[in-house]
Amino acid sequence: MLEIQNLHVKLEDEPREILKGLSLTVKPGEVHAIMGPNGSGKSTLSYVLSGRAGYEVTDGSVSFKGENLLEMDPNMRAAKGVFLAFQYPIEIPGVATMQFLKVALNAQRKARGEKELSIPDFMRFVKERAAKLNISQEMLKRPVNVGFSGGEKKRAEILQMAVLEPSLCILDETDSGLDIDALKVVADGVNALRSPDRAMIVITHYQRLLDYIVPDFVHVLSAGKIVKSGGKELAHELEANGYAEFVEKVA
Amino acid sequence: MNIALIKTPAEEAFGISLPHRRMEEWRWTDLRARIDRPYPAHQNTVVAKIDVDRLIASSPFAKIKTHRIVFVNGSWDQAHSNFTGLTFEMGVPTSSAIDDPLIHLNGAIEPAGLTLRFESNMDVLVEIMHITTKGAARSMALRNCIEVADGASATIIETYLGEGDYVLSSVMEFEIGLGARLDRVKVEHESASATHLSHVVTSLAKDAKLNEFTLTSGGALNRQNGTYTFVGENADAKIAGAYLLNNKQHADTRLVVDHAVPHCTSRETFKCVMDDHARGIFQGKVIVRKHAQKTDGKQSSHALLLSEFAEFDAKPELEIYADDVVCGHGATAGDINLDHLFYLRSRGIPEAEAKSLLIAAFVGEAFDNVVHDGLRDALVNYAANWLQVRKNV
Repeated sequence: MLEIQNLHVKLEDEPREILKGLSLTVKPGEVHAIMGPNGSGKSTLSYVLSGRAGYEVTDGSVSFKGENLLEMDPNMRAAKGVFLAFQYPIEIPGVATMQFLKVALNAQRKARGEKELSIPDFMRFVKERAAKLNISQEMLKRPVNVGFSGGEKKRAEILQMAVLEPSLCILDETDSGLDIDALKVVADGVNALRSPDRAMIVITHYQRLLDYIVPDFVHVLSAGKIVKSGGKELAHELEANGYAEFVEKVA
Repeated sequence: MNIALIKTPAEEAFGISLPHRRMEEWRWTDLRARIDRPYPAHQNTVVAKIDVDRLIASSPFAKIKTHRIVFVNGSWDQAHSNFTGLTFEMGVPTSSAIDDPLIHLNGAIEPAGLTLRFESNMDVLVEIMHITTKGAARSMALRNCIEVADGASATIIETYLGEGDYVLSSVMEFEIGLGARLDRVKVEHESASATHLSHVVTSLAKDAKLNEFTLTSGGALNRQNGTYTFVGENADAKIAGAYLLNNKQHADTRLVVDHAVPHCTSRETFKCVMDDHARGIFQGKVIVRKHAQKTDGKQSSHALLLSEFAEFDAKPELEIYADDVVCGHGATAGDINLDHLFYLRSRGIPEAEAKSLLIAAFVGEAFDNVVHDGLRDALVNYAANWLQVRKNV
C-alpha cells in the first residue's frame, strides 16, 4: 500500500536534512509503530506524507497504492485514503464540526466520483460513530476543536478518521496529553478501525500507547533514518533501555 | 493657501465644501479629490418599471416577506411599495443637530424621506429600499427618521441597490425609547461605480437595546458614519459590520459611540474581507463621559486580506473621562491562516473550497449579530455567492 524508498527531506528554507534516507513498506492490514527520540524526524514524516507545505523532498520516492504520493495535493492524498491524526489538532473558529465533517466527506466522495450522502444519512452515520467515542451532539455543533480539551481534540481526530474511513491512518503522537482513561477511549476508537484493508502508522515517543494499540511492527527512527525494526517486543526493549543506544549509534 | 477656498466642480454643483484628507477623520477618504466631477441633484430620470423590478429582485432579501417602502432615484415609489398596516409620514424629518459634512451634503441635495414611528411590538420586517436606475451621473439623497416608542420593538432593513454612476447620500435617525428594541440590518449593494455616503444617528434611552449589522459590498466608494448616544442607563448597543470588497472598492466606516450616562454596554464587531486592490478602513471612537461610570465598551475590527495589494487601516480611539469603566479595542489584519488551510485540505477539501469555508467563517462572526434567522441566512447566502464569483482563488 505504502512504499517509502530512501526518502530525504529538508525544510524549504533551511539546508539541514531532517529525513536522511528513510525506507518503509506498509501492507494493507498492518499496523506499524514508529518510535524515536525528539527531533528524530517523526512529525516531519507525517507531514511529508500528508502534503504539508514547507518541506522539500531532495531524494527518494513515496508510492501509495502504486501512485506517486508526493505529486498529489494534500486534498487529493486525503481522497485517495491518506489520513493524518494531528499531534496538535488545529482550531478552526466559525466552522461547526458537523459542517466540517460533511464538507470533507462529500469533497472526498466527489473526488472519487461517488455520490454525496443525503443529509439524514450523513447525520445518522456521524452520530453512530460519535457515540462510540463519547462525543456529544453539543460537541458536534461547536466549531472545529475550539474550546475542546486535549482529550476531546484527540477523540475528535479519531471521529474524523472513523467518518472519512481512510485506507492509511497516520497517528502522530496521538497519546500526547492524554490521561489513561482518555487514552483507552482513543485506542478503542482506533482498534475498531483496524481491518484487513486498512493500514496504520502509529508515531509515538512512548511505549504506553502500544499496550492499547498493539502493532505488528515497531521501527526505531533516529536522526532521520530507521535504525532498527522488529516486532511489538521492540517497544518494551525501548521502554526499558531508552533511546540512548540509537542516538549514540548515529552520532 | 487654503485649498478649501477653491471650489471643485463637484462642490460648485453641491453648493457646499466637501471633506478632504487634511481633516483627520477624512485622511483615508478624500471626498474632495475623489468626487471629481459634478453630480447634479434632482435630475429627471426616465424610469423603466422593468429596471426597478430587476433591481428589487436582486436584493439579498428578495424572497423574504417584508413591508417595503421603496424609493427610486431619490423619490418615493408608491407603486413598488407594500406597507399595508404601516403608518408613516412622508416628508423630510427635522434635522439633527450633528455638525457633520455628510449630513450637510445630505441637506444640500434636498432629500426625500419619511418618519416612521413604532408604537408597540411590531412583529414585522420593515424594509426601506433605495433603487437607482441607469441614467446620467447625478446625486440623490434620503433622510428617514425611525422612532421606536417606549417598550416597543422593531426590525428595520435598509437595502441600497443601483446601476450606473451616481452619488447616494443617506441619513438615518433612530430614536430607541425606554426599554425599546431595534434590530437594524443594512445592505449596501450599490452599483460598482457608485458613491455611497451615509450617516446614521442613533440615540438609546434607558434599558434600550440595539442590534445592528451592516454589510458593505457594493459601490466604488463608501463612507459610512455612525453616531450612537446613550441617553439613558442600562442600554445595550451591539454594532456589527462586514465588508466583502474586491477590485478597487474603497470602504471607510467611522463610528462614534458616546457613553454619556453610566451603566451602558457597547460592542463593535467588524469583519472585513478585502480582495484585489480593495481598501477597507475602520475608525471607531468610544467616548466615556465623566459621569458614565460602569461603562462596558469593547471594539474589535479584523481584516482578512486576500491579495497582496489589498489594504486595511484601523484607527481605534478611546476617550475616557470616567474612572470605573471596562473599555477595550482590538484590531488585526492578516491573510488566510495556512495551518487552518492545511488542516482542511488534509481532510480532502480542495484549496478553493477550503479558502471559501475559512472566509465565510471569518465574516460569520459579524453575521451572528443579525437576530432574524431568515435575514441572517440570506446574508450568509449573499456571502457564499460573493465567494463563488471570486476570481483569485
